[in-house]
Amino acid sequence: MAEEKSVAVDTLTMAAIVLVYVAITIFLGWLGYKRTKHAEDYLVAGRCSHPVIIALSYGATFISTSAIVGFGGMAANLGMGLIWLTVFNIGIGILLAFVLFGKKTREIGLRTNAVTFPDLMGKIYRSPVLQYISGFIIIIGMPLYTAAILIGGARFLEPTLNIPYTTSLLIFAVIVGIYVIYGGLIAVMYTDAFQGTIMLVGMTALLILTYIAVGGITAGNTALTNMADLVPQALAAQGMTGWTTMPDLGSPIWFTLITTLVLGVGIGVLAQPQLVVRFMTAKDDKSLNRAVLVGGPFILMMTGVAFTVGAVSNVYFFQHSGQIAIEAAGGNVDLVMPVFINQAMPEIFVIVFMLTLLAAAMSTLSGLYHAMGTALICDLWGRGKKCALSLRANQIGVFVMMIASVILAFLMPGSIIARATAMFMGLCASAFLPAFAVGIYAKRPSTRAAIASMVVGSLAWFLWTAFVHAAEAKPLGICQLLFGKATLLGLPWSVIDPLVVALPLSIVTILCIQYRDSGRLHGEEPAASGGQ
Amino acid sequence: MFSVFGIPDPQIWIGYGLSIGLALACVLYGLLNWNGGGEERGS
Repeated sequence: MAEEKSVAVDTLTMAAIVLVYVAITIFLGWLGYKRTKHAEDYLVAGRCSHPVIIALSYGATFISTSAIVGFGGMAANLGMGLIWLTVFNIGIGILLAFVLFGKKTREIGLRTNAVTFPDLMGKIYRSPVLQYISGFIIIIGMPLYTAAILIGGARFLEPTLNIPYTTSLLIFAVIVGIYVIYGGLIAVMYTDAFQGTIMLVGMTALLILTYIAVGGITAGNTALTNMADLVPQALAAQGMTGWTTMPDLGSPIWFTLITTLVLGVGIGVLAQPQLVVRFMTAKDDKSLNRAVLVGGPFILMMTGVAFTVGAVSNVYFFQHSGQIAIEAAGGNVDLVMPVFINQAMPEIFVIVFMLTLLAAAMSTLSGLYHAMGTALICDLWGRGKKCALSLRANQIGVFVMMIASVILAFLMPGSIIARATAMFMGLCASAFLPAFAVGIYAKRPSTRAAIASMVVGSLAWFLWTAFVHAAEAKPLGICQLLFGKATLLGLPWSVIDPLVVALPLSIVTILCIQYRDSGRLHGEEPAASGGQ
Repeated sequence: MFSVFGIPDPQIWIGYGLSIGLALACVLYGLLNWNGGGEERGS
């Protein structure tokens, strides 16, 4: 049924609207190209972005198709408990990120002339090694996430424009690649702001129309509460109690919900290189203050709406077909939202929502292309050389990483989208967050402590991912190959996200060595951090 | 059974309350600091 209902609008109409959308995007990319005169424009948008553009660009890059479709489907399956991810997204991803991290990042970035996240780390700690390690982690980890976004976008374009998957993936990759390669971060942020606006309109309409379809807020939620006895046996056995109640404390579903989805993704957003660089595009703290005003409500309307609609879709499906959402979507979590939109929404909204998804995918993809390309050139290939700030070299860097991501997208399985998103965020937080936080706040940040923290965080994250966390260890198969079993530890360890283990280890490492080194560093000239 | 907008579990409606409250806090923060922290570039 899901397949039959996958395209509710005729292909010609949809193609025409997508073409108009792409034309506007390319025009904004061209504007970015015209305003890009120097490397600083290409790398940090000239450090003078408008607050609304900063907020929408940050939010639109933060929220990918996976957050809307993947996590919306997850809420349809696991219920409204996912709303705690929205609490983290706004409280940590916006308030804490902009107020505590954003201002310091902007100030240090301006003072040291840092142009990328690894460059910032290198300059804070006065250590080329830190810059190399950060750049290396980006080059290794980010293509996975980028490929997942590419797959998601291509899967959307394939039925929408009625074109083969391969063509769809190439078109998607190249269109985004063109405006990122030529227009740099200015083009990325202009197009992000346009795409963020579409996303805001789409998600607002989705929330209103969904509750109208189920008879209102209280009626819809009450109906969902009354469906608790329809929870599939397999989920009930793992602790799920209903769609409007939290899972049983300490059950496998509770651990997955809290550690992987809420903590993993909620905290993971703090140290993502493609988001951190947005802070460096602000002219002053005033711009960041104003961006917070837009950012909070924007994220509420993205994730809050997706999680609510996902859960409430169960009521609609049950009222119309006697099935719960996951059954109506043929057992595929990723199809719940598209099937619901196609069945429950008016035709015009199907178009708006499809554009919302395309916008979400393109805005995230453009930020990733830019972060990877500039990391390759500024932080690895040309570190310390004049050529690192060449426009042409950075354009080539983005092009090379675009090709690498496309190749990876063809090699990766299609079902990896949501998993790759959570993995990337977990890796970023485990590797970067403690070193980033200490770096911008400590008076004399210790380079040894930062390097040790990044190595311990990355390594612990990888080992837990490959050998303990069942969701990744099973498909990766490394543990099976080496030890003859899927995971080394059983429940509850096998459902605890790698971030929950790796981040504390990374924090303890940096604090211990920082404390030990603080006496040794005392008396030396303070580093570039904000603590002086 | 007590419920808020049809949601019986306090853990869920507190989550919704916090989400909306934090979004409003962002708005309030932006408004209260509208002109705070300007004029730094180039100083």
